[in-house]
Amino acid sequence: MSQQARLDALALAGDLPGVLLDAKRLAASAPGVHGRRRSGQGEAFWQYRDHRAEDGARMVDWRRSARGDRYFVREREREASQTAWFWMDPDAGFNWTSDPARTTKLRRAQTIALALATLLTRGGERVGAIGVAPRAGQRAVERLALDFTTPAREAPPPPRSCIIFLSDFYAPVETWRDRLTACADAGASGALVLVADPTEEDFPFRGRTLFLEPGGRREMLLGRAEAAREIYADRLETHRRAIRALGAEFGFPALLHRTDHGAAPALAMLISLVAERFA
Amino acid sequence: MSFGPFLFGAPWALLALAALPALFFIMRATPPAPQRAQFPPTRLLEGLRTEEQSRERAPLWLVLFRMLAAALLILAFAKPSLAPSAVESAQGGRTLIVIDDGWTSAPFWSDTRAAAIAAASQAERAQAPVFLLLTAPAIPARDPGEALTAADAKARIGRLEPQPWRPDRADAARRLAQTRGNFDRIAWISDGLNDAGAEALAAELQRRGSVTARVPPSTARAIVSASVTPQGVIAELRRATTGVGVAAIAAETAEGRSLGAGEITFSGDALTATGRIELPPEIAARAARVRIVGEQGAGAVRLLPAGAGRPFVGLVDPGGAGQPLLSELFYVDRALQPYASLQRGGIAALIDARAQALILPDASHIAPTDRAALERWLDDGGLLVRFAGPRLANDADEFMPVRLRPGTRTLGSALAWETPLGIGEFPADSPFAGIAAPADVSVRRQVLAEPASLEEARVWATLSDNSPLITAQPRGRGLIVLYHVSAGPEWSDVPLSGLFVELLRRTLAFAARSDGAGEREIAGGPYAPTRLLDGYGSLALAAPDATPILAEAFGAARASPVTPPGLYERAGVSAAIDAANAAETLEPLALPAGIERAGLGATIERPLSGWLFGAAALLLAIDLLVALMLAGRLPRFARAGAAALAALAALTVFGAHEAQAQNINDPTQNLRLAYVRTGDARIDRASEQGLAALSDVLTARTSVEPGSPVGIDLARDDLSVYPFLYWPAPTSPRRLSDEALANLDRYLAVGGLLLVDTRDAGASGSRPAVQMLAGVDVPPLELVGAEHVLTRAFYLMRSFPGRTQSTQLWAESASAASARDGVASLFIGNGDWAAAWAGSGGVGDRQREMALRFGVNLVMVALTGNYKADQVHVPALLERMGDER
Repeated sequence: MSQQARLDALALAGDLPGVLLDAKRLAASAPGVHGRRRSGQGEAFWQYRDHRAEDGARMVDWRRSARGDRYFVREREREASQTAWFWMDPDAGFNWTSDPARTTKLRRAQTIALALATLLTRGGERVGAIGVAPRAGQRAVERLALDFTTPAREAPPPPRSCIIFLSDFYAPVETWRDRLTACADAGASGALVLVADPTEEDFPFRGRTLFLEPGGRREMLLGRAEAAREIYADRLETHRRAIRALGAEFGFPALLHRTDHGAAPALAMLISLVAERFA
Repeated sequence: MSFGPFLFGAPWALLALAALPALFFIMRATPPAPQRAQFPPTRLLEGLRTEEQSRERAPLWLVLFRMLAAALLILAFAKPSLAPSAVESAQGGRTLIVIDDGWTSAPFWSDTRAAAIAAASQAERAQAPVFLLLTAPAIPARDPGEALTAADAKARIGRLEPQPWRPDRADAARRLAQTRGNFDRIAWISDGLNDAGAEALAAELQRRGSVTARVPPSTARAIVSASVTPQGVIAELRRATTGVGVAAIAAETAEGRSLGAGEITFSGDALTATGRIELPPEIAARAARVRIVGEQGAGAVRLLPAGAGRPFVGLVDPGGAGQPLLSELFYVDRALQPYASLQRGGIAALIDARAQALILPDASHIAPTDRAALERWLDDGGLLVRFAGPRLANDADEFMPVRLRPGTRTLGSALAWETPLGIGEFPADSPFAGIAAPADVSVRRQVLAEPASLEEARVWATLSDNSPLITAQPRGRGLIVLYHVSAGPEWSDVPLSGLFVELLRRTLAFAARSDGAGEREIAGGPYAPTRLLDGYGSLALAAPDATPILAEAFGAARASPVTPPGLYERAGVSAAIDAANAAETLEPLALPAGIERAGLGATIERPLSGWLFGAAALLLAIDLLVALMLAGRLPRFARAGAAALAALAALTVFGAHEAQAQNINDPTQNLRLAYVRTGDARIDRASEQGLAALSDVLTARTSVEPGSPVGIDLARDDLSVYPFLYWPAPTSPRRLSDEALANLDRYLAVGGLLLVDTRDAGASGSRPAVQMLAGVDVPPLELVGAEHVLTRAFYLMRSFPGRTQSTQLWAESASAASARDGVASLFIGNGDWAAAWAGSGGVGDRQREMALRFGVNLVMVALTGNYKADQVHVPALLERMGDER
């Protein structure tokens, strides 16, 4: 990242510390994704076991063995670092909230993503935004937060990785089919996090209402909005079902989260969805 | 056109109500503007059509609400009025409106006017001509035979104001009798009071048509007399109806400032009551009018012309202590005390004090040095009043209205043929005209004028043999008046008589104004109006073409169109014609049978258009809010409003904060220690450094936080803002200038603290303090001992070390300072304290600390006085308490 771009990102990330703080707090309350809980390549001590014939003399842990009559081998915990990729919806409609007092969908998505990233980096995994190189360690979360604030770059999905899509998924099903097909072709899997504003769920509008798409592409005038509630609910349900089916097909289980609900259950659910990937 | 109690001025406008249903459908069909909502999944709504979309309508309640507003507007345009008991005459007819427009109607003039307009409106609806008859018209009287349209009549009534005199109904009846034709309706809007012509008018009205008389519920009251007495202002009130009542009266100056108020209580059946406004004589003399508080009307005001002006008069004091009853100025003083502000002094001082008039008794000599100033003062319009006497008789100067013959004329002495003479009739063109010459006043001696010089001067008063007694002549813009007798009782009885007061007052009337005394018409002539009353009892400048009143007629003049009430002036003397004279009769109006009697204000119709327009506007404003709310834009406006309010509040807070900023160097805001600049730069620098060090110590250790020290000049600076003043001895002390001495004396007297430091100058045997304080009113001094408050004002100290350990300190003795509760204001010592405080001149740390402690104590004494002196008694108090146990 050039110096200028970094400065731009910092300017964009006006609320970055706030998001990071929210994410840290959220991560502290989550169950965690730690541990392969098996021996393997790694730094941390795992267990001593008896020396076996095929181990060879080099494997003997002499310090331990000297205390007894048997030979011991020192085993370390396996540390196979994987990479989790995050895809953040750049649409203007995603960075939106119906009530200024409530967090936007984007911010909530960032919070959840960064909280997950915090937990993952603690477990030694690497995290990254799509189109940017992944990193490991404590600093990785902050860099990830910065990357979220820069406009996402379209990039081919990294092969055989875990990709977490955070979006409201209001784009047509075909768009998502193309995107997920590309991921599946590259051997990636992951999860879909559907973040929704309560207004979008409940459709509380009444009377003559002009609906405007944020970003100003579409508008729609309804004479009596309350009469359209049922139809809208139907359409939304159909669309969601299609997205879920799509996700299930390509190995991306979906998860719905409303911004008026707490983030912790969503994070716990997400962890359970991705945990086996990092097991 | 009327519906029940409602009358409509423009009933055709009501036709628009028929259009309301059409309006209903139009409004119903027009949907309100949609609310706008941001909605990301708008794509999901695409192609959606709600069934009702084509039939989208404004909500019914909103339509009804707007219909109501429209209906109110239509009703308002129909000019409705509420007239519950309005008698609608079926067919139109000639209407005569008789209005009593004297001051007796002023207290309820708006009701009177409204009743007249209501009568005209009634005629307007009947398309009938209106005739107006005013009973108290200004000249020229309007012809009641003139037929007016109702609109013209209303406009004319709207411009009517009450006149400051009472109605002349006999004259009105006469004028009415000169017109022909009968009237269908006659409305007489009366003032509720009877007068000599009421019966004639009632009869004439009855002859011409059916009469309805409107009588007010309460009638006007009047002040029929008022006078200024030594006990205050006494006023007499009169009313028309009996019953227990209370009225408040107030005295005012010519400018309208209230001087005081009093209460008058009417007992049950009394028509007259007298009350007093208690005022000290000098204040009462300034009363220019008395009025009934809260009552409008020219009769509720009584003018006191004497109080209109109170000249500032200088009495030129010849000096010397004579016997009071024989001193010349005693009689002048006594005569003028209630009417003028008096000051005694020399000619130059009085002119400097801007005296409007100077009274110069015989013994007072015009010093050659004062001549130029007096000449200038006279040219500027001063009034010089002189009295003759033995000195003047032999040595007249040029400040005379006439040339005097040397010597005096003695009447009635043992060796004279002539007997003492009385005072002659005052000439008609003199300001004294009208005063009756008392028979018992005689003149025994006088100075005489050269007959030739009398041609140029005015003779204001003469003796019975026509020899001048008082002469006057303008000088520049000013005026010189000479009394040819002495101001004391030696030459005549004039100073002993009441005449003297009147003569002096009328003489001084020439000084009471801003224009020059000599520019006034000093001859008599008619009374010219200066300020005239209006019907409500306010004074206004008279029009320049207002008719003067001949002096002979003035005394008998009553308020009338030709002699309007107000203030008049003749030869500089004010006189008044009051709206209500002393013999004013106030009694309730008696109406003959056959005249219908109605209350005033009872059946007045109330126009409703204004209210309806207001209600419609309010509804439309609410409608605007509703429309905004429906469009979802209201919260934004609410927030903007809140922000504006917050900004305003913040501004107020910050503004107030800013206003509290002070100037740290302003000695009235911030304490500063001061030293006297000696002119020796080295000593001044030492003083400044010493006081700066002391200020620092005070700030660090005590709650006294002085600003930076300031050097002052004893002769020029105002010392009173510096509680502590340090005065080091200069190397060569000089005597202080007179200004510095006066300044220093004043400083010591008001309780400043002065520390005189002789430094080590006294070591050589000279006595610098004596030279420094030469001329100062130095109080007795005493050596400051262990019991002095200085030893315990802040630190407990036994000695008062300066640059040397052994110093001597003297202070004003407590007995001498008893006026200031024993707090000494002068300390004299030889400690060279400034050097010690600054730590210069080889002073050790401990020595400097002790000196600073002395300085702290001294400043504490300067600021808190003997507050800590109570501690002196603590041992004794403790001992006594122990004894009691």
